[in-house]
Amino acid sequence: MELNTVQEASGAGATAVETFQPLIIALCCNWCSYAGADLAGVSRIQYPPNIRMVRVMCSGMVHPNLVIEALTKGADGVLMCGCHPGDCHYQEGNLKAEKRAEAIKLMLGDFGLEEERFRLEWVSAAEGPRFAQVVRDFTEQVQKLGPSPYKP
Amino acid sequence: MAARLAEEWFAICGGCEVTILDIGEPLIDVLKKVDIVHMPVIMDHKLFGQTGENKELEIPEADVGLISGGIRNEEHKKLAVEMRKKCKLLISLGSCACFGGIPALNNLYSTEEILQKVYRDSVSTESNGLPREEIPALTDRVYAVHEVVKVDAYLPGCPTTPEMVANALVAILEGKPLPPLASKSVCDECPTKREKKAVSTLKRRFEAAEFKPGAPLSEMRCLMEQGILCLGPATRAGCGGSDGTPRCIRAYMPCEGCFGPLSEKANPMVDMMGALSSIGLDPKQIPDRAPTFNRFAGAGRLRPTPKR
Repeated sequence: MELNTVQEASGAGATAVETFQPLIIALCCNWCSYAGADLAGVSRIQYPPNIRMVRVMCSGMVHPNLVIEALTKGADGVLMCGCHPGDCHYQEGNLKAEKRAEAIKLMLGDFGLEEERFRLEWVSAAEGPRFAQVVRDFTEQVQKLGPSPYKP
Repeated sequence: MAARLAEEWFAICGGCEVTILDIGEPLIDVLKKVDIVHMPVIMDHKLFGQTGENKELEIPEADVGLISGGIRNEEHKKLAVEMRKKCKLLISLGSCACFGGIPALNNLYSTEEILQKVYRDSVSTESNGLPREEIPALTDRVYAVHEVVKVDAYLPGCPTTPEMVANALVAILEGKPLPPLASKSVCDECPTKREKKAVSTLKRRFEAAEFKPGAPLSEMRCLMEQGILCLGPATRAGCGGSDGTPRCIRAYMPCEGCFGPLSEKANPMVDMMGALSSIGLDPKQIPDRAPTFNRFAGAGRLRPTPKR
């Protein structure tokens, strides 16, 4: 995938400053977060175009190897979104995801990646503005970290 | 005509060569049909001619080549290339050749760190600097044989099983394809009793499992459920051979993962950490996760911890 770069002319000199545009994979659960993202869309809330969204049936089905694989094969960050605890369509899938998130963060260190490249967030179907805010925050966070060392 | 066999060993303990001997009586029949042309462990066959007269290293032509051990230095690399050139069928024998094995735990550190530790920092060593002359240089990490040359078949295991080696040799002599590796995991072959998929605390490594001595294995509770880290879920089956029961389980010990991961791309650490954390174990409890879960599969999977 191409690295998007936005060129901005700096005020002082003639040199152009390139802002790093990260590539973020967002794994959103079908029942809450994907609907939340949809709401953000139909409400025309602006958020950075850096995310590539993958709809999954439940955040509890996201095995850590999917996250690790995304981050070691070119993604700069992975955002995982699920229903709020207690709201899971499958009773406790999101609690499983929460437990896995800790293992994922530990393992990112083993792979030489910063644990801030992964984030787990709860977004309900009614939280369109919150989804946009989460994406804005996370994009900014990954932007500060710079490109993934695994980036080809 | 007898099949010509060449065998070469690299970074290895020699256990897999013992396994060939361990085939027992069937070996006598096999040996009648095999002509061993090169095998440093039992033969005095020099690489540069018997008196060192040759300039290029040479291994005789062979129908079957067995390589045991991972690639740790430049000499191994050259020999692997030469073996590939001279052997029609090249087989990785044992986990070291297949996935790096125990020597690949080296991959957790850079070569410089290892040399520094062994030749300079170790308290029991009188430091005389690094050896420089007349020894092959180390490679940057330990490689499995197939990472350097193309390998036609794999016989994993630490050591590999006599039954597998015998079956492979018999198949080659009869001109048949080699029996495929199992595609199931060790858990699929394990006879122990599974009660509830949960584990909350881990036992320390040398704490014994709970079982009734003399009772069949089917009455012992799954070792993972007992809180003993067992690599069964992420390891290829087949170590039990025709008996079917995994070797370590037979001895009431957890699987250590010597048959390697279930697929070329799988990383047992990621799989095991995911599985354990989702059934309620605090992942921080797991000691030394990378070397524990990739004990035998370090080539290409273990890497030095990055410095920040």
